Formats: sequence, structure tokens, C-alpha cells
Amino acid sequence: MLYTAGGLLCALALATGASGAGTGSPGVSPTEIVIGGTVPMTGFAQAFKTVGLGASYYFKYVNAHGGVNHRKIKYILKDDAYDPAQTMSKTRELVEQDHVFAIFNSLGTEHNLATRPYLNAIGVPQLFVASGGTTFGKDYKQYKWTIGYQPNYRAEGTIYGRYVAKTAPKSRVGVLYQNDDYGKDLLAGLSHGLGKKAKLVVSKQSYNPDDSDVQSQIAKLKAAKANTLMIFATPTFALQAYRFSYKLGWKPKVYVNVVSSASNIMKVSVLASTKKQVEGSISMVFVKDPTDPRWAKDRGIKLYRSIMKRYKDKGISASDPYNVYGMSAAHTFVQALKQAGKNPTRESIVKAAAHLTIRNDPFLLPGVVVRTTPNDHFPLDQARLERWHNGRWVSFGGLFRVR
Amino acid sequence: MRRVLGIAVPLLAAAAAVGVFLLVPHLVSDFHSRDLAEAGVFFIAIVGLNLLTGYTGQISLGHGALMAIGGYTTAALVVHEHWRDVWTIPLAGIAAGIVGFLIGIPALRLSGLYLALATFAFAVAMPSLLKKFSGLTGGSQGLSFLESSPFQVTGLKGTVTVFGHTTTANHFLYYLTWGIGLVGLAIAWLIVRGRFGRAFRAIRDSEAAAASAGVNLPLYKTLAFALSGVYAGVAGSLFAIQSEIVNPLSFTVLLSILIVVGAVVGGLGSLPGLVLGALFIKYLPSLAGHVSTRPGAPDFIYGAAIILVVILLPGGAGGLLGRLFAPLTTWLYTRR
Repeated sequence: MLYTAGGLLCALALATGASGAGTGSPGVSPTEIVIGGTVPMTGFAQAFKTVGLGASYYFKYVNAHGGVNHRKIKYILKDDAYDPAQTMSKTRELVEQDHVFAIFNSLGTEHNLATRPYLNAIGVPQLFVASGGTTFGKDYKQYKWTIGYQPNYRAEGTIYGRYVAKTAPKSRVGVLYQNDDYGKDLLAGLSHGLGKKAKLVVSKQSYNPDDSDVQSQIAKLKAAKANTLMIFATPTFALQAYRFSYKLGWKPKVYVNVVSSASNIMKVSVLASTKKQVEGSISMVFVKDPTDPRWAKDRGIKLYRSIMKRYKDKGISASDPYNVYGMSAAHTFVQALKQAGKNPTRESIVKAAAHLTIRNDPFLLPGVVVRTTPNDHFPLDQARLERWHNGRWVSFGGLFRVR
Repeated sequence: MRRVLGIAVPLLAAAAAVGVFLLVPHLVSDFHSRDLAEAGVFFIAIVGLNLLTGYTGQISLGHGALMAIGGYTTAALVVHEHWRDVWTIPLAGIAAGIVGFLIGIPALRLSGLYLALATFAFAVAMPSLLKKFSGLTGGSQGLSFLESSPFQVTGLKGTVTVFGHTTTANHFLYYLTWGIGLVGLAIAWLIVRGRFGRAFRAIRDSEAAAASAGVNLPLYKTLAFALSGVYAGVAGSLFAIQSEIVNPLSFTVLLSILIVVGAVVGGLGSLPGLVLGALFIKYLPSLAGHVSTRPGAPDFIYGAAIILVVILLPGGAGGLLGRLFAPLTTWLYTRR
């Protein structure tokens, strides 16, 4: 009995000693900096896993070249199965068990909304959120530890709205959108962009991210005699939208949001319907598409290919553009980390993230600049429109600012 | 002498249990005590299910749905009415108790497999019901405490002060959950060793015999359902408080099945083994993940482990404990 009590006391002493040992910022040691994030590795949104994996490959490349200030970047990725409740518990695990320095590149609008109050309450940076939720860039005064990355959804919706109002003012627009902040953000942008022509929208149909399919929504949009279809949906549902419109013999002009317009997903959409059904779809683009022959000799895509060849996991395809997106986010993180000083703190990295001007991101379209200021928390706000033609995206028009 | 020991041994065992309860969080990492608190949620639900299934013989595959009632009661009160999260626990228990009672009424006419199917249907329907009333439940997005009323969340900043004593939020959750769990266990023990317990067991062993001995079947059956519902509701409430977010995905059929697995592994009709049942369902999935991460492998290992336990330990962990301590108990309590 005595022995047990003694053992317990020893363990107690050890436990308290261990927790008091760390000095400086959590997750930062002389040789390593530990960050973490969540992506859906399983479940219906697992197409997005390469957003996290792509970033992890870029960090491996940076580590092989000496790291940042002699520190290797350790990026812990956890699977949240696209369930915000799991995002919450996995993020807590990253912060409280793995003691990460910052949360980086976690994916999903609802998912980052769920963790934002927690991370801000305890002062953990939530960097370069992988969602175009407008709030992540807009509400920086209330949530000073959070910053977004990609062009925001509201702006994207606005662009499509303006384009329709200008080029096809007589169209009848049907919208398929995800029933959450992500879908509603795009929808609000669309109405904003249509302006006086907002009446062109004849039907809006929503689905829940855990629904099994969108067949009835597509049927309703067809029944409303829409001739233009806005797909504000994640990849699985975007594929279904093409498939079910084809099955119903409906051939609208399609606008598909950036979230689902990666060329590998478009190719599956072609398989799920027909070439003709997908031909002429319009989307927006800001990263280089690795399958686009235009970039075959591009320095950035060559770097991308060499990183993929060296570090990618089995079963991951190098033609998946989400890898490029992830690498771009990682490239920006590395730049912010360099700017955060020799001994980065949570304060200094957040400050650095709000003082960025990166002109040479090899993974973004030429001319796209990653720029933030203390009053501007939208790192990416430039893009081009693109049209699906003969099995690949062709961009048209110049680079414009999305706001 | 033996008589004194007969009283002293159970008291010592209870004291040891309380000692372990108090010490454990200091032996593991701070974050791990949160994991243990999650196991505590399962424990409470399993104790409740055991009253119903283990002692009264009424099968329920719908306890996950009763947990949803508790969890959503808490979430709705915190998010819509801005209640402090911990004060909602009693109400969550009562709400789920009432729903449990209501399920108990049709259950009077159903037995065995049919009852299992009816409660199973309840569990299957629950996520859709939650999505249907989206004004109250937030639909498929659910309700997030932190988004809507962060200041009602106990331990938002990582520490909690109770009666001038400050602990980490994770320790607080552990003590809260297992504290309620142990009190719940004690109450369950008092119930099953008294008049109610005798009536429950009589119903389990033979309804006809129980009725002819004067046991009021409708009363005791619905009572067992209601009591069991209270436990599930409190568990659901604690689940919501721990995760700070509830959505329909948190309360799927799988949760109901897990609770049944926990009760079977812990030992139906016995109380002390249930702690092991709770730890089993909390930790086995991640242990299975450590063995192999190939697609499907963890599920396979998980299933195989359940089958092994059921074959090797027919009485569950409670049965095993009973057999291990049989010489002691016979020596203590048998009159010669």
C-alpha cells in the first residue's frame, strides 16, 4: 500500500514538473516548430484532403532545404470527416495535447467558425483558413487571431452575378447552394453582383452537407425553367448536379464555384454526364492548374512537380490542383514565419500575417499578389474567369480584383 | 469479526473508488483527463441502460436518441436562452426522462425483438427530426455554444474556479462528469438493492410471475424507461458541455449501439463492471487505429474485439469481477 502511494506521489511530481518545463512560445523549440490543422481525410468531402496534404509536402521540401531559421516545420494533420463537432475536438487535441504553435490551413467554413471563438479566447493563431468565408477576413477586429486566405465567397458570387448581368441579361438563373454560411455567402454575392437584375434568379434550391444527393433540387430547378445553373456546392454535389441535369435532359449554362472547379473534379463530372453537358461551364481561378499545358514549362509548376515526385503519399495524384492550393498556403505561411522574427511568438506571427506582400508565389497565377495590411485581412483577392473547353479550363479576360 | 469485515470491505472498496476518482487526472496529461471525461459520459449512459436492460429486461437500441434529447436541451438553453451550461444538466435529465417515460408507454405492448426494433427506429429517426426543427436545433449545422454565447461556457479561458479553488477546464470536466457518474452509480445501486430493484428483476425473469406476485407491470416498466432516460439525458447534456457544439451527426444510430456494446461488455445486471464498459467503447476505436490504419482495418479489429469479449467473458467485465472475488464474497457473506 505504502509503495503504491509513493509511486503515485512520484508520478504527481513528474507530471507537475513536466508541465512547468516549457519556456517561450508553445510549439517552438530551437530545432522545430509544430503547427497543426484539420481536413476531411474520410467521408463525403474527402476530395479536399489534398489541401492539407499539398501543404505538408511543401513543408517537407522546405525542411529538406534547412527549414526556417534552422527550424523544421512539423505540420500535424487531423481528420475531422467534415463534421464541425470533430473539427472542434481535433483542434482542441492539437492545442492542448500536441501543443501546436498555431492552427494552419484548417478546412471548411462551418468548421473554422466552430473553432474560431475557442482559438481566439485562448490566443492561438488561426492562420490562412482554407475557406472563402467572408467573415474570416472581415471580422478581424473581433477575432484578432484569425485570418483567411483564398478570395472570399461573397466576392466570387458577385463576379458571377456581374458577368451574367452583363453578358446574358435575359437568362433565367437557378441556384443550387449548400445550406450553410458558405453557400449563403455565395448566394448573397450573386444577388449583389446581379444588382438591378436580381430578379433573373428564378429558383434557389439548398441542400444540407450530409444529404445523400441533390436529385430533387436539380429537378425543381429544371421545372422552374431556368437556363443558367449556379453550382455553389462541394465536389460530390457538383458532380451530382451535372449528372442529374444530364439524366433529366436539361442543358443549362453552368457556373461552378471555385470549391468544386478543380480540373480533376471537372473530368469526373464529364465521366458522370457527358462532354457536352460540361462544355462551356464557367468558373474562377487563382492557382495554376498542374494539368494545364500552358504551365508545362512554368517554373512554379516544375517546382510543384518535383516536390510531388519526391514527397507525395501513395494514392495521391499530382494532377489534383488542391495540392497546388495547399502549397501556396504553405508558401505564404513560410513567408509569414520568416517575417515573424528569429524567435517567433504567437503575437509576432499574427502580426506578420497582417503585413504580407508576396509577389513571387510560384503556385499562383502570374501577377497575383498575396497582400495584407493591418486593415486588410484578405490575403488573396485577385482572380481570372475561366471557361471549360475541350477537356480543360481556358482562362479569359484579364486579372481582376475580387472584393 | 467476519461481520465487521462484511461491512468494512464494501466501504473500503467505495473509498478506494473515490480515491482513484480523485487521483487519476493527476496521473495523466491534462488533455487526457478530457478524454476520460468523455468516457464518463458513456459511463452514465451505460448505468442508465443497465437499469433498463440489465435489471428490467427491456431492450433499448434508442439510448443515443435519448442522449440527443438531453444534449439538445442543454444546447438550446445555452444558445437560445443564454443559460450557464452546467445549470442545464438537471433540466436535460428531466426532459430525457419524460421522453423515456413516453417511449415506455408503447413499450408496454412490445417485448423482446419488437421493442428493440421500435427503439431502434427512434434512434434512426432522431437525426432527421433534429434537422426538421431547425429553428430550435440549428438544422444540420447544429448549435455551437462558442459561436452564440461563449460566456456561458464554463472554462472558456482554460481554467475554472469552484469555491475559490482553481483547476484547469479539463480537470473540471473530468470531476464534473465522473462526480455525477459516481453519484448516479450510487443511486442506481440504492434502487436495485431495494423494492424497485426486486420488482425490476422480477419483470426481467418472468413478467407473468411478476404480475401474479402483485408487481404493477405498467408502472415499473415505464418507471424503468423514465429513470433510464434521466441518466441518458444527463449524459447527453455533459456530452454537449464537453464538445461545446451539438449537431445531428453527434447522435447517430452508432451512438445507441455503442452504449449497448458498453453495457454488454461491462456486464448486464451488474454495476461495478460498467466503468470498464465505458473505457472499452471510448478507447477501443483509437487502440484499433494504432494496430493498423489500413482502410477498414480499425473497424475490423474493433468488431473482432467485441466478439472476443462476448465469447470469452459471457457476464461481461462485471461477471469476471464477480468470479474473481467470488471466494472473498462467499467467505464474507455465507453463514455456516
